[in-house]
Amino acid sequence: MSIEEQIKDIVAEIVRVDKGIIRREGTFKDINADSLDVVQVLLRTEETFDIEIPDEDAEQFQNFGDFVDYVEHHVAEKEKA
Amino acid sequence: MNQPFKGKLSLVTGGGRGIGKAIALKLASQGSDVIINFFRHRDTAEKTAKEIQDIGVKAKIIRANVGDPAKIDEMFDVISNDFGYLDILISNAASGVGRPVLDVDVKAWDWTMDINARALLLCAQRAARLMEGRSGKIVSISSLGSFLVWPTYAAVGVSKAALEALTRYLAIELAPKGICVNAIAASAVLTDALKFYIKGQEAAHQQATPAGRMVTPEDIANVVFFLCSEDAFMIRGQTIIIDGGASVMAPFVSTPGGVNQ
Repeated sequence: MSIEEQIKDIVAEIVRVDKGIIRREGTFKDINADSLDVVQVLLRTEETFDIEIPDEDAEQFQNFGDFVDYVEHHVAEKEKA
Repeated sequence: MNQPFKGKLSLVTGGGRGIGKAIALKLASQGSDVIINFFRHRDTAEKTAKEIQDIGVKAKIIRANVGDPAKIDEMFDVISNDFGYLDILISNAASGVGRPVLDVDVKAWDWTMDINARALLLCAQRAARLMEGRSGKIVSISSLGSFLVWPTYAAVGVSKAALEALTRYLAIELAPKGICVNAIAASAVLTDALKFYIKGQEAAHQQATPAGRMVTPEDIANVVFFLCSEDAFMIRGQTIIIDGGASVMAPFVSTPGGVNQ
């Protein structure tokens, strides 16, 4: 499964929404996620991909697409290392 | 310079910024090596560690979510392997979900209790082993919300009440091991986070405090230092209130500093 699909699964499970409504151009606000949901999504993503997403970086995400790109980039960097 | 904590090792959870940072710097200024635990803000933790090293003591940062028992274990495994001892534990890391009590769901409750209350239990259990024969000190950072009701503070307030009760039990049960355990409860502390929330209301907050100003992180750090010193040896299981007198003022009473409402 692609990283994007795995992240969608994580978001869908934690925010308790249908996976189909999570789109690259969408935001957490669009799917009514609260701040605790967001933190838990970040934590689960970190554990799933064994990467670190500091809040300073997470605050820069404009939408899910940015989030997915960030994770893909860091997973690729980790694999290179 | 007199450095009463020279040769000691302190762990400050949530020590990268705000109150934790002020505590970490104070302990370092007294000669203690300091481990900064952080979770979401690596940059600020690294900067604080640098400031501590500039004082002339050792600093180390360890990332761990103290709401996760496995991460607490990993953090203490690192401390055990790298140092093998610990003198001071400051249980400061906190989080919380600000909601009216009727909106606090199981997830918000567990998140808040795990980080604010259970973390002290698990950290103290591991720390006590590393403090054997070292006159250990444990200070937990509570808040006046443990007994005063603030809007949307229910989950955090209850977790802080649990923290204070746990502090009393630890104080008694760890006393035979020579470990002193106390808590500090402060009113709203003037951190960057709070400055954002009370913008424009600073004067009102000051007037509601008989001491004439708001509590700063350094005020907390000074009392932590005292509680970790041998001068405080006979203080056990107490929650020391730092609020400039605000909580003992009767409502609607005029003072030279203003009116408490």
